[in-house]
Amino acid sequence: MKVELQINNSTSAGARYVGWAPSPCRIRVTDPSGTIARTVDVTLSNVSAATGGVVIFRKGSTGRFSSTLTLTVPTNGKTVPFFVAGSKASINDRDVTIEARAKPSGPIIVPIKGILVGSIKVMVRIRKNAEALTSGERDRFVSAFATLNDQGAGRFADFRSMHTFVSQPQAHGAPGFLPWHRAYLLDLERELQAIDRSVALPYWRFDAAAPNLFTQDFIGTSGPNGAVQFSNTNPLQFWVTDGVQGITRSPRNNWNPATQPGPTVITEAQTLALGANYAAFVGMEGNPHGTAHTRWDGFIRSIDTAAKDPLFFLLHCNVDRLWAKWQRQNARFDSTVAASFTGDPNNPIGHNLNDTMWPWNGVTGGSRPPTAPGGSLASSPCVTAPGAQPQVKSMLDYHGAVDATAREGFDYDDVKFV
Amino acid sequence: MTTKKKSKQSSRKRSTRAAILVATNLRRPAKDRVTAFAEAPLAVCESDQNLQAVLAVVRDQKELVEVRMAAMDSLAAAAFSAIAFAPCRNDYIATLREVATDPNPQIRETALGTLAGEKDGFVQKKLLEGLKNPAKALVPPEKALQLLSYDVHAESYSVARDIVQNPPNPAARQEALRLLAADAASAPFFEKVLRDKDEMRENRQIAASALRALNPDKFQKHAREMLLDKSEFEDIQATSLTALGQFGDNEAVAKDTALLKSVDRLSDKAKSAKYKRSAKQFLGKYRH
Repeated sequence: MKVELQINNSTSAGARYVGWAPSPCRIRVTDPSGTIARTVDVTLSNVSAATGGVVIFRKGSTGRFSSTLTLTVPTNGKTVPFFVAGSKASINDRDVTIEARAKPSGPIIVPIKGILVGSIKVMVRIRKNAEALTSGERDRFVSAFATLNDQGAGRFADFRSMHTFVSQPQAHGAPGFLPWHRAYLLDLERELQAIDRSVALPYWRFDAAAPNLFTQDFIGTSGPNGAVQFSNTNPLQFWVTDGVQGITRSPRNNWNPATQPGPTVITEAQTLALGANYAAFVGMEGNPHGTAHTRWDGFIRSIDTAAKDPLFFLLHCNVDRLWAKWQRQNARFDSTVAASFTGDPNNPIGHNLNDTMWPWNGVTGGSRPPTAPGGSLASSPCVTAPGAQPQVKSMLDYHGAVDATAREGFDYDDVKFV
Repeated sequence: MTTKKKSKQSSRKRSTRAAILVATNLRRPAKDRVTAFAEAPLAVCESDQNLQAVLAVVRDQKELVEVRMAAMDSLAAAAFSAIAFAPCRNDYIATLREVATDPNPQIRETALGTLAGEKDGFVQKKLLEGLKNPAKALVPPEKALQLLSYDVHAESYSVARDIVQNPPNPAARQEALRLLAADAASAPFFEKVLRDKDEMRENRQIAASALRALNPDKFQKHAREMLLDKSEFEDIQATSLTALGQFGDNEAVAKDTALLKSVDRLSDKAKSAKYKRSAKQFLGKYRH
């Protein structure tokens, strides 16, 4: 007998990635040979190395998760639903094996664990603190990023063009700041995953020292003139934007980001205490966000050039994590709850809950920029949200806390689903 | 509006206004003023009075440099909030242009850096002038070249070519090379730099990246030769290997037994463990 496990309700290998939020899955018997019963009890369990990820299971869309799950599966090929969620993050691609073992009914002697009737490898893919990445995770990330850049000729050029002086009113200085950047990061991350499925965006905690991030093997170190230096094995040494080689970035006022937190950048605790209403919390656009940008000289200091530096995306990943953490702390995933967003009728276009967001909506001219680089938001084999042309409101319930179908397929290491 | 809401709003306004008052008060200790500037960068968007008070600190040459720098950082942070900052922008840019010629080099460099990022024509002109006539230079030549690379023009290429041939210092030559990396006419020159074992290794690293972008086929040929060359420096071989593994013609590399043999040697005999690991990863990709 054989069973098929469908992760994220898909048979595609690209869909075998889960986060903390429950992923809908299915099981079905594909080869009933060896049994004449109409149903068979199949037990699912997690098998992984000590360093690998761990998943847990539950039968329905509510209830407790457990380390094993027994399902009664018809032998006629009909699917049975269940849910999988990560409980420990992976470090390598598909380092978790879900095993399905059957105990056929009747007086047949079988091993206590049951007969292995199917298995599938999955990954608990989670956005992590850049400081905590293994060398393998780090190398896969920089390699995927360098491929996306392709010396200025790759798809990254669109991401660079999305974040400029011309486009800034779509994304800054109004309530849509956080949703727009969440969509932007998600789009980029999905493009990185199209290159290497095991990659998730790491974040730079700008309120802490980052000795592992600011190295020549990772995001680079600042040379005497502010040119970022990379090791000879780091593919980011080939980084090109706007036809110009390299990255300019140097810390201001003798600050050492490897040993000190960003000076005058407010801490995570202070950020989370800005207020329980979104109107107060989005003030974080000034400090810590703006302050983290302006601890530096170079590309990252100004809105028009910031996206030329890969560090920008790690900085914003932390901004997004802080929002996610604030949402979890205050239960602010529901766009119909007033405190989850600032629903002011005077908000500019692109900053209201029901507005679609540029450039993914393709709208140009008028109060939108003259061009819309990059096309629609990249799709994912794991989830359907937020769709090709996301609205502001679709970015709030990112891990499906209110509506399971709104799950966007990313999670942060320290923002659990429950 | 309820009384509670009113009181909350006014207390928030008091707090940002209070921060501005501390930040712009000459009698307060510099440390307190620096902290106050960082506390509420968006306070400058709340009133013209706040904005003008902060801009006055930036312009005031009698102020402590660390306080002026904190004021510039605060404005730069506020500038990210584009819509809220829009009414402040013209005055902000005008102030930056004013202090772009400030006697203090840190203030000057910060202003020039921000304006160069904005592709400011006034600054580009000043930077080019300084490169042609060092007596007029506002920043060292290497910094001027770096700032010009934010928005490269034909005139910058011509100045950079002159500096590469006749550099005032090694750092200026390096920045000139970086600026020329997108100049198709410089490809033959980058071939020379890449293969010259007497060149600074950082310059050869820049040349590798430039040539790879300008002429991938030529680069692949040179990278191969450098990997086969037993007398070549290991770090330059590592750069070649990284480029081939990341961007190379996979089919050609997989068939190239001589190349794979030389990478084998590197994976076994390289002095650096990192280069050994990199060579092993490369072989793992091409030898299944």
